[in-house]
Amino acid sequence: MASTAAAADSGLPPVVYNDDVVRKFTIAAIFWAIVAFLVGVVLASELAWPQVNLGLSFINFGRLRPVHTSGAIFAFGGSALFATAFYIVQRTCHVRLFGGRALADFIFWGYQFFIVMAALSYVLGFSQGQEYAEPEWHLDLFLTVIWVCFAIVFIGTVMMRTEPHIYVANWFYMAFILTVAVLHIGNNIALPVNIYTAKSYNIFSGTQNALVQWWYGHNAVGFFLTAGFLGMMYYFIPKAAGRPVYSYRLSIVHFWSLIFMYIWAGPHHLHWTALPDWAQTLGMAFSIMLWMPSWGGMINGLMTLSGAWDKLRTDPGLRFSVTAVGFYGMSTFEGPVMSIRSVNALSHYTDWGIGHVHSGSLGWVAFISFGAIYYLVPSLWNRSGLYSKKLAAWHYWIATFGIVLYISSMWVAGIMEGLMWRAYDSQGFLQYSFLESVVAVHPFYVIRLLGGLCFLSGALIMVYNLIMTVRSQRTNPGIEPFSGAMPVAAE
Amino acid sequence: MPTKIEKDSHTGTETTGHVWDGIRELNTPLPKWWLYVFLATVVWSAGYFLLYPSIPLGGHYWKGLWGYSSRGDAMAGVAAIHEQHAAAMEQIAKTPIADVEKDPKLMQTALVAGRITFANNCQPCHGQNGSGRVGYPALGDDVWLWGGKLADLETTLTHGIRSGDPDARVSQMPAFGTDGTLKPEQIQQVADYVGIWWGLTGKDVDTKAGAAIYAENCVACHGEKGEGNRDAGAPPLNSKVHLLDGTRASIVAQVTHPQMGVMPNWNTRLDPATLKSVALYVHSLGGGE
Amino acid sequence: MQENLGDWIVGILVSVLGLAGLFLWAGAQDVEMTIFGLALAGFAVVFVIGLIKRHYDEKDTVHATAKARVNPHG
Repeated sequence: MASTAAAADSGLPPVVYNDDVVRKFTIAAIFWAIVAFLVGVVLASELAWPQVNLGLSFINFGRLRPVHTSGAIFAFGGSALFATAFYIVQRTCHVRLFGGRALADFIFWGYQFFIVMAALSYVLGFSQGQEYAEPEWHLDLFLTVIWVCFAIVFIGTVMMRTEPHIYVANWFYMAFILTVAVLHIGNNIALPVNIYTAKSYNIFSGTQNALVQWWYGHNAVGFFLTAGFLGMMYYFIPKAAGRPVYSYRLSIVHFWSLIFMYIWAGPHHLHWTALPDWAQTLGMAFSIMLWMPSWGGMINGLMTLSGAWDKLRTDPGLRFSVTAVGFYGMSTFEGPVMSIRSVNALSHYTDWGIGHVHSGSLGWVAFISFGAIYYLVPSLWNRSGLYSKKLAAWHYWIATFGIVLYISSMWVAGIMEGLMWRAYDSQGFLQYSFLESVVAVHPFYVIRLLGGLCFLSGALIMVYNLIMTVRSQRTNPGIEPFSGAMPVAAE
Repeated sequence: MPTKIEKDSHTGTETTGHVWDGIRELNTPLPKWWLYVFLATVVWSAGYFLLYPSIPLGGHYWKGLWGYSSRGDAMAGVAAIHEQHAAAMEQIAKTPIADVEKDPKLMQTALVAGRITFANNCQPCHGQNGSGRVGYPALGDDVWLWGGKLADLETTLTHGIRSGDPDARVSQMPAFGTDGTLKPEQIQQVADYVGIWWGLTGKDVDTKAGAAIYAENCVACHGEKGEGNRDAGAPPLNSKVHLLDGTRASIVAQVTHPQMGVMPNWNTRLDPATLKSVALYVHSLGGGE
Repeated sequence: MQENLGDWIVGILVSVLGLAGLFLWAGAQDVEMTIFGLALAGFAVVFVIGLIKRHYDEKDTVHATAKARVNPHG
C-alpha cells in the first residue's frame, strides 16, 4: 500500500507514502471522466435532436444536465484533484499522509458515495435549482463532512512536513480546499421543509440569492477548476520537464493576486439584471484585473519548459499538460473579455458561454488531468512507462480536434444567436424570432456533438492504454507491489 | 534541508535554493510586461470606478461621474428602436382594422409587426405559419372555431378563450362519459357515427344507434351535418381540419371527458396596435374571411 | 497504535452517520430521503465491516510473516 520516496537530493530519510488512496482516486477520476463525457455526448444529442430523450423523465435534458456538469467538475475533476493533492502533498512535504489510512479511505469512499447519491437525486428530479450546487441539503451536509476530513488530512500533512518551506502547489491546493469549503457552506444555507424531506429553501431569495449563487458559481471556477488544477500544474510540469519552476516571485504574486481578485468577479454573471449597477461594475472590473494574475500561472507553466521543449515530442503526458496551459491562457483571456458589459450584452445567454466553459473544462481541466494521469499511473503501479506512447499521441490529437470542433462551433453559434436576437429591421421590429435562431444553430449543435464524440473516443483510448500499462511487466518484478517497493525514480 | 542556491545552466538564473521532491525554483524577476499590463488594468479599473456606479456606501452608492445606469441604457435603446415605428403604430391603433387593410403602407407595417409578434408569441402553440398542432387550432386554413373575419380575430386575440378575461370567448362541452350521460357502449356508437366524416368507419358498420345518440346529444351545438356552430364555439366535426389526432380513440376520449384549450387574453401583454397587426397577419395566412 | 486510533475515530464517525441514515430512512417522506437514508446506513455498515476486516487481515499477515521468519520453508 505504500512506496518509499527516493529522497532524491534532499538527504532526508525515506518515507512510506500512502499511495493506496491516490491509486483509488486515480481510478475513480478515469472512471468518472468516461461517465461525464458519455453523458455530455447524450446531452449534445438531445440538444440537436430532442427525441433522443425517448420521452423518459429520468434522462430529459433538465435532469441529465447536472449529472454531466457535476460528473465532469466534481466526480472527474474532484477525484483527479484528490488524487494529485494526496500524491503531491506527501512528496513535497516529504511526510506520510496525516490522519491514518481509515480517514483517507473514508474520504475516498465517502466522496464516491456523495457522487453516486447526487447523480441519483438529479435523475429522480431533486434539485436546489442552483447551478453547480444542485444537491439538496442532506447531500450538502454529507459533503461538508467529507470536505472537513479532506482539509484535516491535507493541512495536517502540510503541518507535519519535514521540508522547511511549503511548495507552491500546496498553497494552491490549500486555497482550493479552504475557499471551496466557504463557498459550499455559504451558498447552501437552506432550511429543509422538515428533516425527513429532500426539499429545502435557501435562506437568500431573489437578487440576493442570485448574487450568492454566482459568487459561489464563479469561484467554483476560480478555486475548484483553477486554483486546484494550478496546483496540479505546478508539480507535474516541472517534474515531467525536469526543469526548475520559471519564477518563484511570479508564483507568489500571481497566487495572492489571483485569489484576491477572483472572489469579487461573480457579479459579471448578472450583468443587465436586477443586481445593482455598482455590484455589476465591481464584478466586471475585477474580472479585467484578473487577466494578468491568471496569466501569471500560464507564464510560469510555459516558461518552465524553456530548455526542455524537445520533451514535448517524446512525452505525450507533458504535451497534454502544456496544451492545457495554452487553453488556460486562452480562456482566462476570453473570460475578462466576456465580462465587459457591452460584450456581455451580446454573449450572455448564448452558446458562446457554453463554448467558453468547455474551452476551460476540456482544454484546461481535462487536459491538465490527463497529463497528470499519464504521469501518475506508471508511477503508482511501478511501471517503467506507458504501454503505448503512440496511443497516447492518438488520444492527444483526437481530443484536441474534438475541442477545436466544440469551441469553434459554439463561438459561431453563440455569436450568431446574439446577433440574431438583437437584429432589427428598418422599421425597428425584431428581424428574427427566437425559433429562427434555434433553427439556425442546429448545424452547429451537430458539429458540437461530433467534437464531444472525438473527446470521448480519445478518453476511451486512454483507458485502454492505462489498463494495458497496469497489466504490463512491473519495473521491478522481484519486489512485491504493496510491500514498500522502491518506485520508479521520478524521472 | 540546507538551502543551497545554484545557478541554472540553461538560463543562467539563480535558484531560490529550495528543493521539493527534486523540484527547484528559479529566482526570475517578474516579467516586466506582465507587471505593467497588470498595473494598467488596476489603473483602468480605478478610472472605471470613478466614472461608473461602483462603491457601495451603506444605504446608497457612488453613482459615478457619468451618471450611468444599465437600466437607463437598455431603456434608451428600446425607446430608440420603438421610435422608428411609433408613428405608424399609432396610426394603426387609430384606424379601424378593416381600413388598415386598405392602406398599403400601414398594412405593410402591420404585417411585419404581426409576423414577428406571432412568431415569438403564438407560434409555440399554433405552429409555424399557423399550421396548428393537436389541441391547438390551425390558423392557416378556412376552418374556424370562433370566426375568421378580421373583427373576430381581433376579439379572440384581445380577450382570449376561456382565459378569465370578462369578455373572453367561452364554450363548454359536457363530459358525457364521466358525468354518466352516456354509457361507454353509447360513446363507442357515437364515435362510429362521427367517424364517418373522417373516413374512420367502414361502410359495413351499423351507425343507426350512433346517429340517434348524436341527434339527441350533439346536434344542438355541432349541427345536423356536423358543421359546428361559431356562436356556441362548437367546432365543426365534418372537417378533416380539427383539434384531435384523427384517431377513433381520440373521439371516444373527447366525448368521455373533453379537453378544452385555453388561449390567453393578449390585451394584458400587447398594445392594441400590435393586436390589430397580429389579427391582420393571421388573416393573411390563407384562411381569413 | 496511531493507525488503530484513527480506525476508532473514523469508525465511530461513520457509525454515527449510518445511524442518522437509519433515522432518515425510518421517517422519510419522499423517495429521495428513503433512498438516501437506506444507502447511508448501508454505506456505514459496509465501511465499518471493511475496517474490521482489514484490521484482522493485517493481524493475520503479521502472524504469517512471523511464522515464516521462524520457519522459512513452512
